[in-house]
Amino acid sequence: MPASGTRGIGRIIERIIGRSMERVMSTRPLGFGDAAAVGVPRCWLVTADGCLTATVRALWAADGDPEGQRTASSRPMDWRVFDNGRAVLEQFFLDPPDLLLVSAALPDMSGVSLIQLVKGENVYRQVATLLALNAPDVAGVDWQGVEVDDFMVLPAAPVSAEGAGCMPLPPPLSTELAARIELALTRAGRALDASPLTKLPGNTSIIKFIQGLIDRRMDFALAYADLDNFKAFNDKYGFSRGDEVLMLTARLIATTAREVRGQPAFVGHVGGDDFVFVTPVDEAEDACRRVVGAFDAIVPGFYDADDRERGAIVAHDRQGQVRTFPLMAVSIAVVCNRPGDGLSLAHYGEASYRASQVKKLAKDRTGSCYVFDRRQA
Amino acid sequence: MSDDLRTIYKGRLLAVKDLPTLPTALQEVSRLLELPNTTTDQVAKVISVDQVLAAKVLKMVNSPIYGFPGRIGTVKHALVLLGFNVIRGLIISTSVYDDMNRAMRGLWDHSVGCSLACGELARALGMKDPEEYAVAGLLHDLGKVVSALQLPEAKARVDAVVQEQDLPYIDAETQVLGFGHDRINAWLAEHWNLPPAIREGMAFHHKPMSARIYPQMACVVHVGNFMARLFEYGSGGDDNVPQLSPHALKLLGMNQSALEALLDTLCEKFADAGELGFA
Repeated sequence: MPASGTRGIGRIIERIIGRSMERVMSTRPLGFGDAAAVGVPRCWLVTADGCLTATVRALWAADGDPEGQRTASSRPMDWRVFDNGRAVLEQFFLDPPDLLLVSAALPDMSGVSLIQLVKGENVYRQVATLLALNAPDVAGVDWQGVEVDDFMVLPAAPVSAEGAGCMPLPPPLSTELAARIELALTRAGRALDASPLTKLPGNTSIIKFIQGLIDRRMDFALAYADLDNFKAFNDKYGFSRGDEVLMLTARLIATTAREVRGQPAFVGHVGGDDFVFVTPVDEAEDACRRVVGAFDAIVPGFYDADDRERGAIVAHDRQGQVRTFPLMAVSIAVVCNRPGDGLSLAHYGEASYRASQVKKLAKDRTGSCYVFDRRQA
Repeated sequence: MSDDLRTIYKGRLLAVKDLPTLPTALQEVSRLLELPNTTTDQVAKVISVDQVLAAKVLKMVNSPIYGFPGRIGTVKHALVLLGFNVIRGLIISTSVYDDMNRAMRGLWDHSVGCSLACGELARALGMKDPEEYAVAGLLHDLGKVVSALQLPEAKARVDAVVQEQDLPYIDAETQVLGFGHDRINAWLAEHWNLPPAIREGMAFHHKPMSARIYPQMACVVHVGNFMARLFEYGSGGDDNVPQLSPHALKLLGMNQSALEALLDTLCEKFADAGELGFA
């Protein structure tokens, strides 16, 4: 996704060597639509069906016809068209798009095998894939085996050379195509990095959301929460009960953030016992206080009666020494972005760096607590 | 009685859906949820005097979908974790007793009385989480509510036996069904993943010394039930005051003066609660 870095590097490589590569390659991909600005989805169409190309072009070509058919709901997209499967692969592995729309029948390979090739690699699984096929072929696809996100049934097209004389598909079909593409993109964005345990958005979504706020120069408070003595708890009670505590923490932060007044509001699960949440600056302290208070009140119930009574776990450390680990606590570090007051974060990395510095202060204290980045205040 | 019949009864009891409640608390919670600045504490206070609403909230938060079954034992914690959104949905989907209203009122008041007594007793004994004791007290007769709804024909026979033979309700239940509401409580608590402490309080308040993991909880609910009966706060379905187990008092470390102090506190509490219109 935009800020994850790989795309940026890919584009730089493309910029340096791209032209010479294209010269070597026989088919120069056709580009149209909105040139890749930040946040504009990059979509690739792989087809020999001239009508499909014409339809996509009519839906998203911004330059050609100003009165174009772009439907009210469709947003700008950056499209490239490939007329065979092989042409796609190398560029795909170097710099994958956000969406791949593939015809089932390609001159050099089947659309299904192209999708399999691409989706078989875990690093490319975030790419939304759609299969365009004719009605009689739907029954022949192994839907459980092919990792396609959606499909679109198109009328059987006359196989014509280079789309000469191909008309765009008429509205009911073109509208459906636009809707399916939009839905596939959205679904890929929201589902893929969610934590399998808590179902909260993961790192990619977190970075995307925060960077979006920074780019739009919005005020917000970003809170990083993690648990103290979680490892000792996990070691004694096992992962299954550890997961219960993570579910509790996730739920607590999620309800608290949802009930905060105003925008922005966001909750993410970085991984393990690390969570982030975003609130308006004015609401952050109250939200932290509520999370800390509720966590401390509820977490003793996750220990056995004797540990709860003692207020600690007694365990041997790696050296065989007897050690006491207090009950788990939540510590929260808060960093604020207030561009209007001259306190702006340059990028997501700065936010997380500052939070980690502040977190050190929080860790010096015992028990649950929250600490604000005072250099900003 | 045959095991088959018991299994059939158990199945019908656990199949309970959409447990209705009395209108008082339900309407008050609905009203609070409409207001912009309502706090979790305010809503928790109202739900804590309605055994059915409290049971629903705890059943919900302890369901496996939230990922920590059997861990949440107070209404306040349940509300913090569920959030107003879920509570709103729960309130909208809860129906109200109409014709049975009057008959049920006594049982509702009795559960509130027992809850008050359990909370006070736990506080006096310096227990760590008195709220959880209050919840166990509130839910201690839930089995009677569920059996009235799911086994109405048996309920009528139990009432008749209580009348004709002047028996305690639990003895009449055992005569008619082969088991009492304490057994139903144990099934429900297990089925709904309620925390073990609450389950033992609900299941063993008539036989507190049989509780295996949390005998203190069972003893507190036992004494709380006795107090509510003694003050005739609401009605548990019969006019008897149950036997107070000396073992329970001993386990809790209560002597004569501690008992008297509790009686004095409850005198005031019950009077206050009565003025609030819960009795």
